[in-house]
Amino acid sequence: MSLAALSHPEQAVAIEVRGVSRTFTTAGADVPALRDVSLTVAEGEFVSLIGPSGCGKSTLLRMLAGLDQPDRGTVSVEGDKVAAPSLSRGILFQDHRLLPWLTVEQNVDLGLHKSGLTTQQRQQRVSDLIALVGLAGFERAFPYQLSGGMSQRAAIARSLAPQPRVLLLDEPLGALDSLTRSKLQTELLRIWKHERITMLMVTHDVEEAVFLSDRVVVMEPRPGRIADIVDIPLPKPRHRGDPAFVDIKLRLLTSLEVETDPPANIVEH
Amino acid sequence: MRTRTRLDLRGLVLPATILLAWWVVSANGLGNNYIFVSFSRIGAAIAQFVNDGTLLAGTTATLLRLLIGFALGAASGLAIGLLIGLSSAAGRVISPTFHALRQIAVFAWMPLLTAWLGIGGQTMIALIAIGAFYPTVVNVEAGCRGVPLPYLEVGRVMELSRWQTIRRIILPAAAPSILAGLELAVATAWLSTIGAEYFISAGDGLGIILAASRMRGSMDGVIVGILAIGLVGFALNRLLAFASRRAFKWRAPST
Ligand SMILES: Nc1ncnc2c1ncn2[C@@H]1O[C@H](COP(=O)(O)OP(=O)(O)OP(=O)(O)O)[C@@H](O)[C@H]1O
Ligand SMILES: [Mg+2]
Repeated sequence: MSLAALSHPEQAVAIEVRGVSRTFTTAGADVPALRDVSLTVAEGEFVSLIGPSGCGKSTLLRMLAGLDQPDRGTVSVEGDKVAAPSLSRGILFQDHRLLPWLTVEQNVDLGLHKSGLTTQQRQQRVSDLIALVGLAGFERAFPYQLSGGMSQRAAIARSLAPQPRVLLLDEPLGALDSLTRSKLQTELLRIWKHERITMLMVTHDVEEAVFLSDRVVVMEPRPGRIADIVDIPLPKPRHRGDPAFVDIKLRLLTSLEVETDPPANIVEH
Repeated sequence: MRTRTRLDLRGLVLPATILLAWWVVSANGLGNNYIFVSFSRIGAAIAQFVNDGTLLAGTTATLLRLLIGFALGAASGLAIGLLIGLSSAAGRVISPTFHALRQIAVFAWMPLLTAWLGIGGQTMIALIAIGAFYPTVVNVEAGCRGVPLPYLEVGRVMELSRWQTIRRIILPAAAPSILAGLELAVATAWLSTIGAEYFISAGDGLGIILAASRMRGSMDGVIVGILAIGLVGFALNRLLAFASRRAFKWRAPST
């Protein structure tokens, strides 16, 4: 299977963001979270969003999830304008948001009420997903009994459970140690390939973006906008030591450095 | 285990001091011995109340009254609290009236209640129910309205129906606040119980022992009444604290 074909322009469009602006008002001041952002993601594509804190990455994902509406412009998924949240569009929040009163397995099961599966099939699916994210043995644990990384993995399982066609991931692997992190990157890649889910992932880790994505969207803040889109035409799975890999990584780092250094003496990070 | 024992002992310092001071004053005739009744007379009064069954009958009647009044007040409080906490339309209609009525002290209802229900058991129950009602409504409403937005958003992305959202998100999130409200309601209902018994004095009850002893001018009886009320109240309070500590498996045990 040619993975490059997936990002080919003739591929069906999964996500279409057109001319989107969103301004928040905080303490009387207008904060332009996004200004005139346009982005198209093909079906089955894996796209990463990177950029400094506050450049509107989460805001964009929330709009795609249907939790927020643009002031101007349109957001559509699979041809339909996004009006409300849907189980076909999964979102993994930046804060894991496990419900504290539900056990890990109850949390994972939360989105299966419309799946049409029998109770047994549901249980099977839940335990498969829990095993997938390496939480076997913690099915009955409550969120307060989990570490940050374990909570994030449980949240990954929960977002995968309803088999969304589009998965929006907001720094899904942010709280993980590097070992678990690269294991889950491989796992994410496997799920993406196997289930052919369109994935849009926010990350602060350039290497992660290059390892997983067909394209990387670089954003810059105030107002939040797209600064650059970098294609990554390397076959997957990729090797982090590969010279072409390192090349793209360096290019992205430079792009981030240049683009994100604000002209004024405002310091980010 | 060790810290518990030490804490318990420290908690006994103050009562022991008061007892000692009382003993010093009463045994040496330092104070008015009508008020500072000697330990032996208190002991005799306790023995008498125990032997003639007054104490047992009083405690039972008081607890029963508390239970009925609390059940009525808390149940209606839960219903109203959920209604205005879950439906903003109901909240807009009911809340202003509720918060206005809440300003009326429980015992200010007495003249009206005695006119409606007579000077007897029903008025006492009504006063207790009112005492339990307010804190229940306030806390249930606050709990339902205070559910963190992030959790509600989880419900939205999981396409939960309104009913599923209530059952799986709002009620569990509000549960600690609801329980705190019920705990508070027991406390206010207990105060109302003793107050109602003291003022209305119909039938048996700890507050009625208190009122009757005062009428007879028997200060030892008053003291036994106060002791019994204090002890039962304390036991109720401990029982609830114990139960509520265990109520939520999903919460990290607090220190
Ligand atoms: N609900 C809101 N109300 C007010 N301001 C908001 C709201 N949501 C986001 N903002 C503002 O919009 C801007 C973009 O926020 P957003 O969370 O999208 O950033 P981000 O790129 O995800 O940052 P990070 O990498 O730190 O997560 C920020 O300046 C933030 O203060
Ligand atoms: Mg964010």
